[in-house]
Amino acid sequence: MRIFPESVSTYGHGIDQLFWLILIFVGTALVISYFILLYPIIKNHHSKVKRAKYITGEGKGPYSWILLALALLLGSDFVILFAEHHVWEDIENVPEQVDMRCCITGRQWNWIFTYPGPDGKLYTADDITIDETNSELHVPVNKNIVFDLKAKEVLHSFFVVNTRLKQDCIPGRTNTRWFNFTRTGKYDISCAEICGIAHSQMRNFIVVESQEDFDKYINDLYAKHSQTASN
Amino acid sequence: MTHAEHPQSFISKYIFSQDHKMIGTQYTITGLLMAALGGFLAYVFRYNLAWPGEHIPLFGDLAANQYNTFITCHGMIMVFWVAMPILLGGFGNFLIPVMIGADDMSFPKLNMLSYWTFLLSAIVLVASFFVPGGAFGGAWTMYPPLSASAYSNLHPHFFQALFTGAPMMILAVALEFTAILMGGINYVVTTINKRAPGLTAFRLPLTVWFINIATVIFMFSVGPLVAGAFMLLFDIVIGTGFYDPARGGDPILFQHLFWFFGHPEVYVLLLPSLGVLGEIIPVFARKPLFGYRKIIYLALLSAVLSVVVWAHHQFVAGIDPRMATFFSIGTILISIPFAGIFLSFIATLWGGRIKLTLPMMWALGFIALFLIGGMTGLFLGSNAFDIYAHDTYFVVAHFHYTLFPDIFFGFFAAFTYWFPKFTGRELNKGLGHVHFWLTFIFFNSTFFLLFFNGLGGQHRRINDYSLFSNINIEPYITFEKIATTSAILLILSQSLFLINLFISLRAGKRAERNPWNANTLEWLAPSPPPHGNFEHVPAVYRGAYEYSVPGVESDFIPQYAEQV
Repeated sequence: MRIFPESVSTYGHGIDQLFWLILIFVGTALVISYFILLYPIIKNHHSKVKRAKYITGEGKGPYSWILLALALLLGSDFVILFAEHHVWEDIENVPEQVDMRCCITGRQWNWIFTYPGPDGKLYTADDITIDETNSELHVPVNKNIVFDLKAKEVLHSFFVVNTRLKQDCIPGRTNTRWFNFTRTGKYDISCAEICGIAHSQMRNFIVVESQEDFDKYINDLYAKHSQTASN
Repeated sequence: MTHAEHPQSFISKYIFSQDHKMIGTQYTITGLLMAALGGFLAYVFRYNLAWPGEHIPLFGDLAANQYNTFITCHGMIMVFWVAMPILLGGFGNFLIPVMIGADDMSFPKLNMLSYWTFLLSAIVLVASFFVPGGAFGGAWTMYPPLSASAYSNLHPHFFQALFTGAPMMILAVALEFTAILMGGINYVVTTINKRAPGLTAFRLPLTVWFINIATVIFMFSVGPLVAGAFMLLFDIVIGTGFYDPARGGDPILFQHLFWFFGHPEVYVLLLPSLGVLGEIIPVFARKPLFGYRKIIYLALLSAVLSVVVWAHHQFVAGIDPRMATFFSIGTILISIPFAGIFLSFIATLWGGRIKLTLPMMWALGFIALFLIGGMTGLFLGSNAFDIYAHDTYFVVAHFHYTLFPDIFFGFFAAFTYWFPKFTGRELNKGLGHVHFWLTFIFFNSTFFLLFFNGLGGQHRRINDYSLFSNINIEPYITFEKIATTSAILLILSQSLFLINLFISLRAGKRAERNPWNANTLEWLAPSPPPHGNFEHVPAVYRGAYEYSVPGVESDFIPQYAEQV
């Protein structure tokens, strides 16, 4: 059994590795904790011991064991903090090199995708917006895709399991995030913040394809769009 | 006139009682009844998760909006109508007066009002299931705009809007807070004013300290939430726009106000149970509580730190990344005092003479489970990993591994420890141990596998995963079924507790005054303590944890014993 689903973004691997790093610390701490919990229960059972030792722990002597344990815990905490910091920065900071921009908006209950029109600029008159259940967001593989996350009426949370990215979408605010897919395929987008009756049905897709396939898709989209516009 | 001379009718003794023990009983029974309701809701939605769309025995079919309502109310009920009344209302009322050698609370009438306000809050909450549209179903965090919009749009008139799920939930919570505040004032004032002569601050049992610290944390943190909740209520019923971005409001404001209370609330719930462990472990290890004063200092430190960790619930809400680092560090720091407290409990066992009595089993089980709950918090406190794990079943499993031992193991530890004192009867040991082991095993088989469902990407508050082909797969489907089956068995196991309660109340062996050979003052009072508790005002000569003192033949020296 694999613990994590397939990771297809450049930073997904970093998040998975962070889990294993923390697990080493947590696992070690748990083994030690269970040992120091169970050992005296077995060894000092009242049938084997006539009288308990009088140890108050008020002085420095035996209490230094606890101080040592707390120092070790604090130390491992900061190792984790240090290790995770660059992963966090990697996810939160949008790269300078932008290969594609788009806007993703949560609404009750589907994701709306907005591509820039033929002028290549987002938020202009020729933008193309797809607002349908089960629709697909097409993106090219191995490219930096930067997107604005918005919400129409209530909070939503943009979650693509295979990228490891989750980001709340808040009415009135724009959160800009990015990803870079390492593999082509079709992946689910779900909503991870309760948003009403059909929260569970809020599902769209991201289709990751080669640059040629993507160019073909987007040109077809432009053609279809200008046709509808002229009609 | 002393307490014993009060004329007491049935109504003044059992219903509008001003006796702290009866009020504690009322709080506990109401809390347990609400736990039964919360457990039933859990059974219904867990059944639906394991077998989506199937007919649920004892309930019927669960619609998507009902699913949302049930998960919301399960959380609300377990935190505010089970944990709070049992751990603060129950423990606080039963234990503070008898542990400090007082005849009752400082303000018995206020205490009575506290319980009746609490009962009213529970009635408002239960009534909200029957209003048009049903009880509130936007998750226990009540985040606007969902909580502010969905209902008001349906009911344009003030009065109609008031009697819908969200406003009634807000009113119920506000009443509940009022009740807990009135109780809290009593705990603090009573502890300060009514201690027996000689019972100085550092001779107080840990339970009394911890209930007081929890109460003070609650008082400091609850204000912003009440303000935030009333702004939400105004948004719903009179159309203000505090959280509506279209009118200059901001939904994130509510998240800050909510979690400013919501996270300290975790420690409000945790401290009373930890206090109880602090009584039970020394008694059954026959050893002084290890580092008693330092435990108190650590708890005070945690109280201060508890107000600088709240935004770790908002790592994926798009808060400033620099702010996230600050709250990450705060979260890491607050693990230190609690680690210190748990290590002190474990250290108390070393070199002891350990008796695995029923209360001790619950106390040790508490520690064993909480270790997993606490440690898995390290994954979530790391903000980068939280981007993935937030709002998945990993979080669900994590907080059940903290709150379930805290609420239920803490309650059963206290219940089994003080049952002989407050009823004058002994519990059936065999039945009690079977109940403990079934609860321990079924709790683990319910929640442990859910960690893996969360790591596999299953997000929360979804009634049916069938749309999501990448997470609706084996082994997660099987894990859901194991979890649900175990949850049902866990709930059924609690019938052993009820059976034991009734058998022991009727036919249990008569209990002595001090069956555990414990030191604290309550064991001086008759079992059960009469109205007014003590025959004489006790005098206190030493701290609460003088066990196995060298040079003394007896292995315990009660606080009230003048001569060693």
